[in-house]
Amino acid sequence: MKDRTSLTLSGAVSRRTLMMGATAGMAALAMPKVLRAQEKPTLVTSIRSLSNPYHAVWKTGAEAYAKWAGLEHVTLVSEGNSEKGIADIKAMLAKTGGNMVLNSDPNDTPDARPIVEACAKAGAYVVTQWNKPADLHPKDFNPNYVSHIEFDGIASGKTIAEILFKTIGGKGGIVALGGLISTTAAIERKKGLDAALAANPDIKLLDFQVANWKSTEAFDLMGNLLTRFGDDIKGIWAANDDMGSGALEALRAENLAGKVPIVGVDGIKTAVDAVRTGEFACTVTSDPFWQGGMGLAIGYNAKIGKFDPVKEPPEHREFYGKAVLISHDNVEEYYKTNVDAKPEIDWNDLWGRVTGAIRT
Amino acid sequence: MTIHTEPLKSVSDIERTTLMTFLPGRIAAVFGGRRWRSLAPLAVLVVLCLLIAIANPNFIELRNLVRLANSAAVPLTLAMGLTFIILMGSIDLSVEGTLSVSAMVVVLLAANDSNGNDYGWWAVLAAIVAGTAMGFVSGLVQTMLRIPSFMATLGMWFIGLGLSVYMLGGSAIRLNDASIRDLALTRFLGLPLAVWVATGAFLLAAVIQYHTKLGRHILAIGGDEDVAKLSGVNVVRVRVTAFALAGFFFGIAGVLAAAQLGQSHAVIGDGRLFAAVTAVVVGGTALTGGEGGVVNTLIGVLIVTVLANGMILLGISPYIQQTVQGLMIIAAVALSLDRVRLRIVK
Repeated sequence: MKDRTSLTLSGAVSRRTLMMGATAGMAALAMPKVLRAQEKPTLVTSIRSLSNPYHAVWKTGAEAYAKWAGLEHVTLVSEGNSEKGIADIKAMLAKTGGNMVLNSDPNDTPDARPIVEACAKAGAYVVTQWNKPADLHPKDFNPNYVSHIEFDGIASGKTIAEILFKTIGGKGGIVALGGLISTTAAIERKKGLDAALAANPDIKLLDFQVANWKSTEAFDLMGNLLTRFGDDIKGIWAANDDMGSGALEALRAENLAGKVPIVGVDGIKTAVDAVRTGEFACTVTSDPFWQGGMGLAIGYNAKIGKFDPVKEPPEHREFYGKAVLISHDNVEEYYKTNVDAKPEIDWNDLWGRVTGAIRT
Repeated sequence: MTIHTEPLKSVSDIERTTLMTFLPGRIAAVFGGRRWRSLAPLAVLVVLCLLIAIANPNFIELRNLVRLANSAAVPLTLAMGLTFIILMGSIDLSVEGTLSVSAMVVVLLAANDSNGNDYGWWAVLAAIVAGTAMGFVSGLVQTMLRIPSFMATLGMWFIGLGLSVYMLGGSAIRLNDASIRDLALTRFLGLPLAVWVATGAFLLAAVIQYHTKLGRHILAIGGDEDVAKLSGVNVVRVRVTAFALAGFFFGIAGVLAAAQLGQSHAVIGDGRLFAAVTAVVVGGTALTGGEGGVVNTLIGVLIVTVLANGMILLGISPYIQQTVQGLMIIAAVALSLDRVRLRIVK
C-alpha cells in the first residue's frame, strides 16, 4: 500500500512503474483475511461526543491504554446520532477486515444489537458499556461479544446518602434533587437513596424534587426549598454533581456554602474541588479513564487469546464495575493522581473492579 | 399597559353570532371589556400570591421575596429582549445560544480556571457586545436573506451553542473573578446586585418602548407591517435594530447567569427559551405581534417565578408540576386576550 502512496507523490511516473505499483496494490488488497489477521489489531473507541468532560476523559484513558500496549487507536464520535455511530463502526470493520477491538458506549440502548451483530459477523471483538437491551447477552455471541459493563446506580445513590447521613451526625432533615424522571440512572439512584433512608429512621427526607440533571434548575429549586424548610435542611443529596453544584451556588448566595453538606455522583472537577473545600461531602465516579482503557484491554486480551471468553464465569461477561468514591479522606490523593497527573492503572488487572453480575 | 393599539381586523356581526364565537362572547361579556382584560395578568398574579400566602405564610417572608427577585433576574432580562421581537410579530429562538455565547465569553476572558486571562469588567463588556453582535446577525439574516425569523434564529441558536461547546471544550469552566461574582453574591439594600441589574434592564426597556421612535415603530410593524411601511417606517432598519437590542439583553442575562452559577458550560441556557416565551405570552403580549409590552412581560415573569416558587412551598409533587404549569399558561392566555376579536386562530 505504501508503494502506491509514494508513487502518486513522486510526480514523474513511467507507465511501467505505474503498472507495477498498481499490481502490487491489487495484490495487497486481494490478500486473504488470514494473512492480514497476523497484523496487530486496531483499537476502536466509540463514544457519544467530545463535548462533555466525561467522554473526553474516556478518550484519554483509551489513548493511555493504546500507548501502553503499543497499538493503533481510533476514536469514533456519534454526536448523539445512532445511525452515524453504527455506520462509522461498520466502516471501521470494513477497513480493518474485522481485525479490530471495539469498546463502545452505544448512543442508545437498541444500538448495541446491530453493533454487536456487525462485529461478530466480521470477527471483531467487542465490549459494550452502559447501554444494551436486556435480552442481548455476550454469551449468545461467543467469542466475539466479550463483556458488557455497567455501574450500579442503586449502590451509588446509597453510598453517597450514607456518607451524607454520617456527615450530618445521623439525624435531621435533608432534601434530594433527582434527575430526569424517566431515565434509568435517575430511577436507580433514587432507589439507593430510599434504601439508605429506610435504614436510617432518624433522617427525614423533607422533599424530593426533580432538577433534570441541570445546575441551572437546581439553583432555582434550592432557593425555593430554602424558603420552605429554612434551617431544617441539614444536608443535600443530588443525583448528579451538576445539580449539586447548582444547589451549592444557591447556598453560597445565602452565605450557607460549606454549612450544609452536599453529595453527588459523577466526580466532575467542580465537585472534586468542592470536596476539597469541604462544601461537598463526597462524590462517586465510574472512572471514565478506567472505562476507556479497560474496555479495550478486556477485548484485546480476548482477541489475542490471553483468556477464552467462553470459559469465563457469567460475572465476567456482564458485570457492574466498582465506582470510585471521592470524599474528604482521599480527595487530596485523588487530586494528585487524577487531576494534576494522569491516573496510573494496572492494565493487566482485567477483573479487579468487578463487583458482581448485573441484576436481571 | 398604557398603550392600546386597536387591532385593525374587523369582525362582522354575522360572525359574532355564530356558534363558535358564542361561548367566548358570553365569557367576555361576563368579565367585562378590554379594560378588565388588560389587567387580567396582574389579577392572576395577585390571586396567585394570595393563595400561596394563605397556604404557606413563609411565602411573604422578606427572605423569600428576595429569593423570588433573585430567581426572576435572569428570566426578566431575557424576556425584556424577547418582548420587542414578539411585539414585531417575529420570534427569537436564539435565546439559549446567545446566552451561552455571552456566558462563555465572560468566563473565558475574566479570571477562570482554564486559561490565564483576567480582563475583569472588560470581559463583561465583551460578553454584552458578543450578545448584541449575535442579535445583529440574526436581524441581517432575516432581512437581507429574507429568511423567516423562526428559521434565522433557530440557525443562530445552534451556531451559538456550537461555538460555546467548541470554546469550552465540553467542560464546565469556573468563574473566579470575585468582582463579577459579586453580581450574585453582594447585596445592595438587601437585594443581590443581579436584581438591580435586571431592574435597570426593565427600566431601559420601558423607556425604549414607550418613549422612543424605535419602540413605536416596533409596535407599528407588529400591528401591520404593510401599513407601517406605507407610513414611512424603515422596516429593515427597525428589525435589525430590534434583534440587536434583544441580543444586548440576552448578553446581559448571560453575564448574570454565569455570575450566579459561578461557572459556564455550553448548556447553561437549557430551558431558558421556553421559560422566556412563556413569561412574555402569559404577561399578555400576543404572539401575533402589536399588542402588549414590557410591563406585561414583567408581570408574566413574576407569574412564572411565583408559580415555580409556590409549587415547591405547597409541596406539589414534581411529577405533576409541569401539568400545573401547562394549565396556568392556558388559563392566563385565555383570560388576557380578547379571543372573540380574533378572526383566525392558527
